[in-house]
Amino acid sequence: MTDATLPAVSRSLWQDAWLRLRKNRAAVASAVVLAVLALVGIFGPMLSPHSHATIYQQYVRVAPSFEAYPKAEDILPGFEREMKRARLTGAEPVLEGSRLSVALTAGEKPIDPRVTRYFERSELFSAPQLDLAEDGMTGTLTVSVNRQYFILGTDNLGRDMLTRIMIGIRISLAIGLLASVMALIIGVAWGATAGYLGGRIDNVMMRIVDILYSLPFIFFVILLLVFFGRSLVIIFIAIGATEWLDMARIVRGQTLSLKRREFVQAAEALGATRRGILTRHIVPNLLGPVVVFVTLLVPKAILLESLLSFLGLGVQDPMTSLGLLISEGAQNMRGAAWQLIGPALTLTAILFALNFLGDGLRDSLDPKER
Amino acid sequence: MLSYTLRRLAGAIPTIFIIVTLTFFMIRLAPGGPFDLERPIDPLIMLNLQRAYGLDQPLWQQYLTYLGNLLQGDLGPSFARRDFTVNDLFAAGLPVSVMLGGLALGLAAVLGTFFGTIAALRQNSWLDYTIVALATFGITTPNFVVAPLLSLIFGVILGVLPAGGWSDADPRYWVLPIVTLALPQVAVIARLVRGATVEALRANHVRTARAYGLPARVVVGVHALRAALLPAVSYLGPTAAALMTGSVVVETIFGIPGIGRYFVQGALGRDYTLVMGTVVVIAIFVVVFNLLVDLAYAWLDPRVRYD
Amino acid sequence: MTDPVLSVRDLRVTFQTNDGPVQAVRGIGFDLGRGETLAIVGESGSGKSQAMMAVMGLLAANGKATGQAVYRDAQAGGRPVDLLALSDRQLNKVRGARITMIFQEPMTSLDPLYRIGDQLAEPLRYHRGLSKAAARPRILDLLRLVGIPEPERRIDSYPHELSGGQRQRVMIAMALANDPDILIADEPTTALDVTIQAQILTLLADLQKRLGMAIVFITHDLGIVRRFADRVAVMRAGEMVETGPAERLFTAPEHPYTRMLLDAEPEGRKEPPPAGAPELLTGRDVRVTFRIGGGLLKRGRDFHAVDGISMRLVQGQTIGVVGESGSGKSTLGRALLRLLPSTGRVAWLGRELPQGAQEMRPLRRELQLVFQDPFGSLSPRMTVGRILGEGLLIHEPDLSPADRARRAEAALVEVGLDPAMRNRYPHEFSGGQRQRIAIARTMILRPKLIVLDEPTSALDRSVQKQIVMLLRDLQGKHGLSYIFISHDLAVVRALSDYILVMRDGRVVEEGPTEMVFDAPREAYTRDLMAAALSRDRFGRLALG
Repeated sequence: MTDATLPAVSRSLWQDAWLRLRKNRAAVASAVVLAVLALVGIFGPMLSPHSHATIYQQYVRVAPSFEAYPKAEDILPGFEREMKRARLTGAEPVLEGSRLSVALTAGEKPIDPRVTRYFERSELFSAPQLDLAEDGMTGTLTVSVNRQYFILGTDNLGRDMLTRIMIGIRISLAIGLLASVMALIIGVAWGATAGYLGGRIDNVMMRIVDILYSLPFIFFVILLLVFFGRSLVIIFIAIGATEWLDMARIVRGQTLSLKRREFVQAAEALGATRRGILTRHIVPNLLGPVVVFVTLLVPKAILLESLLSFLGLGVQDPMTSLGLLISEGAQNMRGAAWQLIGPALTLTAILFALNFLGDGLRDSLDPKER
Repeated sequence: MLSYTLRRLAGAIPTIFIIVTLTFFMIRLAPGGPFDLERPIDPLIMLNLQRAYGLDQPLWQQYLTYLGNLLQGDLGPSFARRDFTVNDLFAAGLPVSVMLGGLALGLAAVLGTFFGTIAALRQNSWLDYTIVALATFGITTPNFVVAPLLSLIFGVILGVLPAGGWSDADPRYWVLPIVTLALPQVAVIARLVRGATVEALRANHVRTARAYGLPARVVVGVHALRAALLPAVSYLGPTAAALMTGSVVVETIFGIPGIGRYFVQGALGRDYTLVMGTVVVIAIFVVVFNLLVDLAYAWLDPRVRYD
Repeated sequence: MTDPVLSVRDLRVTFQTNDGPVQAVRGIGFDLGRGETLAIVGESGSGKSQAMMAVMGLLAANGKATGQAVYRDAQAGGRPVDLLALSDRQLNKVRGARITMIFQEPMTSLDPLYRIGDQLAEPLRYHRGLSKAAARPRILDLLRLVGIPEPERRIDSYPHELSGGQRQRVMIAMALANDPDILIADEPTTALDVTIQAQILTLLADLQKRLGMAIVFITHDLGIVRRFADRVAVMRAGEMVETGPAERLFTAPEHPYTRMLLDAEPEGRKEPPPAGAPELLTGRDVRVTFRIGGGLLKRGRDFHAVDGISMRLVQGQTIGVVGESGSGKSTLGRALLRLLPSTGRVAWLGRELPQGAQEMRPLRRELQLVFQDPFGSLSPRMTVGRILGEGLLIHEPDLSPADRARRAEAALVEVGLDPAMRNRYPHEFSGGQRQRIAIARTMILRPKLIVLDEPTSALDRSVQKQIVMLLRDLQGKHGLSYIFISHDLAVVRALSDYILVMRDGRVVEEGPTEMVFDAPREAYTRDLMAAALSRDRFGRLALG
């Protein structure tokens, strides 16, 4: 069959893999979900009307709702409260759109124009306007009602859950990516060196990996945090520093098996240098398994960060992450289940999508598996 | 086999020694000490405390003392819980952790094998896809999400099980922790068994069995499944060790008096002996279960020899 | 004439793949008489195995068979049943009892986790209802019948404790356990060494004579069925192109494809190198030792893969190195090229070859190597152009990319490939094409010596012949010298001037090709030849 016809279009293995991946609906859907979540994580907090750190004391533990806060029935009592504080009396307040106005009735003293301060300080109202009569005894007070939306509710301090979740997505994805990149660099360098040099060096290098492996991960992290203080950088270094072990093992195994492959021997027979063999033959063929492993590494890193935050060793208030939010949610699930459900679902969705994408990549890069 | 077991156990001693040494010096070099309370203590009291626990001696001497005590099975007094020795703490907590972990492991092994086999036999059917999707879900959902959700659903909303707490006598308190511990393992084992079974069903010797007209139950049960269980068996070793030494998350959320929390608490509070004790216990579990797994593997696969 | 025991009509096998349905068998039909031996011959991908897998209900899950396969069971009064229409449960009454099968892969066809006695007992237990204990004497008889030494001991062995040939004997024993009407043998000898192949074939022929079952013998090698088969069916691309009595088919083939297959044995002899040709490579007392086992502290055992071999190669000469697997012939080839550490002397053009990789590098362009497996020896992520250009990159780093491309195209033309294939990837080519690319990769450097390590064993017979011709052409054109390593004596004979016969790392016999072939001194050499050369195949077997 020497003259077997070839397909009209030449495709490299990468192109083949890409085509297979595009056919995998679950993987494509996961990629879309991840892209959306990433955009939400990056731009969401900027577009949100609330900052993740803003505390609304009036809106502590409010439930998720598409209705605006303050709710209609809460506006007047809130207004009455401020009126009382300002020692003002008035007729029935009138609500038109978002403007609330009241005709002030006369008291014993003239109205002090500084009473607007009480309304400025309130989270319910803004832009107070006082039109006093000539004698300063009566007038009209007009304030804007601040309509706040807390689609996913607020936490125990009265912070918007949606914004906090978006920040959590940002932190989780960032740590996942950064830690994976770090694990990738250390792991590939370590594993490829051990695998390619082989012999005693390999033995020693892998024994080190084995020993580090048997130390509990948390121990590492706690030590690092204790030594260098708590910071995001340390957290991602700690995660990267534990995750590279797996990567090193995988890369070493691949390198060892690639070294025995005939095309590497063929290159040796051609007189290729070690460097040439590594760059032209070993690394390009390592890329497939490494790419697959990295996509599975990102969710692991995210999980670890969440676990650390859950244990109170990760990011600190007012900064937040999904793990921290889940931890807080778990403490408040009686009566404020939304605090748990929102971040839990988000984290699960991220991990689920990453895993499906990784599986899809593996299937498309290594069609034998199917 | 006996000599193999003994040789393996002897071979584990250097590993445990290295781990103990590394941990000892790492935790000791970390800044802070067990008696650094928020309020500064009177220096004289501090000195007495340190003397009482031998912390005033040179580090290498403390190390040798610790090693000596360790060889006699004495893990030392706890720094944070002054009335207890580390041995006392483990004697109280370890049975709880081992029981929960063991039950979770058994549940995971049975369910995982069952679902994995079913999925493989019905490969590419809706049942297969459902099991694989659920397994992915089980693997990806972290236990600190599962635990509060289970507690919320069954404990708070439905109220059929205790949402937390512990009772040695009342198995209703055990259910949610065991399920939480088992869930991800069910998923992993199901995926492992599925993959291995699919591969085994394609193996040449299974084709031989089919070609010789053996009933389907023999082809699958005798010839495919035994080979398919091998990867799951390898996986069970480290998993058993991890499950039986307790989970900090599950113990925290459900409030279980196991040993899973000791490590984090010990490391944060510089309870040196507690940290060391946990490391030693974990290392022993890992060694023992890896050995058990290798023995089981050799029993299942005659090609493996003891050497 | 009685009814045929098996009649296949319009059998089609279709596989659902990612690239759409693929028809592996396209409507074939044949009859198998009682006690008859039918050989189904075809090259890889001809659908010969899938056709019989379909009859046995053993297709992969994505495969589907249509048509008829009517089996007439003499025990059931010759009542015809269509095997393709049976449920699995019904089929299980037939397969393993009335129709049995042995496979190509003796190493993996037995379950590695069970003793062979237990596995042999299974067909007896499930078809005859025997208990394990009751089956034991029958199993011992069967093992004796297929020539397993010490059956009482072997019955409790695990498959990995047996050699490949013994495992195939166990498979045959299993096939015979229930006195079948039909035995399907799917390439039963392909994975075995040539001398073992002959033993297995003899055993099958002998058993058939004694037990009288019909045999369907599936093979890619027309040569080995000549004396063995009563009738031969030739398959190509899912169709049967020719069927007929063996004698007729071999003497007067009708279809051109059959003629091509018959013709596929490499023919002709190589011109000997001119007298007084300069000496290229000499080896004296070359030894390669591997350490087996051992660890950080433990010393392993030494294994002498090449155990003191001396040889001399002149320009234009081909030395054939033959031997069974594990004889050390590939190791010798690599040691001569200094790709493995060795002791002893290896001189190139009178100068000792250096041991260091650095010092060897400039010499590599003159000393080249072609591998057995054309699927593994080409880097899967590089285009053919880059694969061919790699040697130039190393040895002529000054060439411009355009020059390298031109040289690559010229090399492709030289090995008979379209130069436009430069931009393709290896996985897009067939095995023969890849081997041509591998040869082009060496030729582009204009070497003086090429070590050919079984370059044809992974290829179909007809492709083998083309590669042999190509190698001979290139040698004539460029005055190349070859060290040709192979277990296939037909190919060796067509290419070599001089032959080394290796066994256990030593040369047991050597001499000019004709002399070794016409008057082999060693029994080992005679065995190799008897088994390997089709014109003599079965020549000495007592088939009556």
